[in-house]
Amino acid sequence: MPDENTENIMEIKNLTKKFFLDGDKVLTACDNINLSIPRGKTFGIVGESGCGKSTLLKAIMNIDPATEGEIIFNGRDIVKLKGEELRQNYRHIQLVFQDPTAAFNPKMKVKDIVTEPLINFNLIKKSEVNEKARELLKQTELPEDFAERYPHNMSGGQRQRVAIARALALEPEIIACDEATSALDVSVQDTIIKLLVKLQKEKGFTYIFICHDLALVSLFAHKMAVMYLGNIVEKIDGDKLQYAKHPYTRALLNSVFSIDSGKNKEVKVLEGEIPSPLNIPVGCPFQNRCAYKKEICAKEKPKLEEIEPNHSVACFFPINN
Amino acid sequence: MLLQLSDVDISYNDNVIVKGVNLELDSGERLSIVGESGSGKTTVIRAILGVLPRAGKVTNGKIIYDGKNILEFTPKEWKKVRGKEISMIFQDSGNMMNPVQKIGDQFIEYITTQEDTDKKSAYEKAVKMLSLTNLPNPENVMNSYTFELSGGMRQRVGIAMAITFEPKLLLADEPTSALDVTTQAQIVKELMKITKSSMIIVTHNIGVAAALGDKLMVMQGGKVVEYGKTTEVIENPKAEYTKTLLSAVPEIGGKRYA
Repeated sequence: MPDENTENIMEIKNLTKKFFLDGDKVLTACDNINLSIPRGKTFGIVGESGCGKSTLLKAIMNIDPATEGEIIFNGRDIVKLKGEELRQNYRHIQLVFQDPTAAFNPKMKVKDIVTEPLINFNLIKKSEVNEKARELLKQTELPEDFAERYPHNMSGGQRQRVAIARALALEPEIIACDEATSALDVSVQDTIIKLLVKLQKEKGFTYIFICHDLALVSLFAHKMAVMYLGNIVEKIDGDKLQYAKHPYTRALLNSVFSIDSGKNKEVKVLEGEIPSPLNIPVGCPFQNRCAYKKEICAKEKPKLEEIEPNHSVACFFPINN
Repeated sequence: MLLQLSDVDISYNDNVIVKGVNLELDSGERLSIVGESGSGKTTVIRAILGVLPRAGKVTNGKIIYDGKNILEFTPKEWKKVRGKEISMIFQDSGNMMNPVQKIGDQFIEYITTQEDTDKKSAYEKAVKMLSLTNLPNPENVMNSYTFELSGGMRQRVGIAMAITFEPKLLLADEPTSALDVTTQAQIVKELMKITKSSMIIVTHNIGVAAALGDKLMVMQGGKVVEYGKTTEVIENPKAEYTKTLLSAVPEIGGKRYA
């Protein structure tokens, strides 16, 4: 399908990330991941802590490269890049972290923080810092005089805007957000997401948005993937999330509390905890918590298969409405 | 009436941080407090437990608990009430415990400080409380250090400790904010099941607040902007800020951003 490839900015193929630990133990954080990231859209990844979503992002960013597999970005496999080519590749994929306080040097002024990437790639001169910083702050709807401030002199939401401004500086193609709004209050989160949407419309950025808030991802992402124990268990369009068919996705949906008291009565509890990734069961990774488990689930691992257009599920017994 | 706050002001170093808080709580009633970080939610419940940081002080108003003004409590009176009649659950119960002492030893110490009992029966009581919070293998938990447990398990230990003496009033400061949605649902459901105590829950998750609280209080900048029955506040918010807050809550199947 050559046409489909031109639509996708990134193709992740059979990506596996293993960590080799003491005593010959192997931790498989990402297991044979296949994803197509559509150009100019938002791709959401959800899952519980420890499911491997941040590890996947680090592999995509090439900060902590994959053990196996390919990441085709702009027609090249970026997993194999080295040296200057690897460095130049960072220009096209930028990252926004959960906690901007930890991501900034507290002794740098905002203007130096947001323009540092440009200086690093020799794209502007020191004399242009002031002007460029003001332009970036304006894009993220911050007052221009913030350029002279330090990160501790602003609120969490404002700091996150600075982090976005820094990610914008190099005019990347992909901006990856790792729980970028999780530390913020809902009303602030709302304004940050609106800013991201506005920037996407203006500049055509592709977002890879990692988040544990299912409701938020479903409202913001065009396409999304649900991860469990290093595996993608379901791929679905964001606006179709309520029609998910994997028992795990359903369990996640049923765990969300709502401001609607009627819905809260329907909250069902998923028992148990995620097993240790050092000790992944044979067969389906979700079997020990699944209400629909049958014999085959403990023997064979279900493959991620497309059951309808743009909707794939890795389950032998997907739930039908 | 179990608890009544009237016109309470709280200051840090002469700066008034929380102004004019009024609330009433009956036995068995649950109140949720929501608001942005820095709005003073935690300060209010800290004042109720008498554990404001050194610079903090209640500068006006009364906090009446069980007919007595707690602002006039002597340290001796506090010792009888705190941890026994009024107890608290923190955001990460792992942080309130000693990382180099086994959970069991800390739990036993807590029980024997509050009650005249021997170590053996304290141990049995602790195990009983742990199993009440759905912790598998409570003996094993007693023999563990905090870092050996997951966030959800640590939180269950914190809850087990807080409800050991069947407190009349349970204060919970962001009890599920550090947890995943699935664990959050488990903890919220368990909290509602295992204790009949009155509760004040501070959270920024409005869904959790609505699920737990009979009453809802919305705070902004140290002031109460809205206070009433949960269903009424959510269905019919009066304050502009409450409306903004409610409309910002993402809901599955709700209005999309793009």
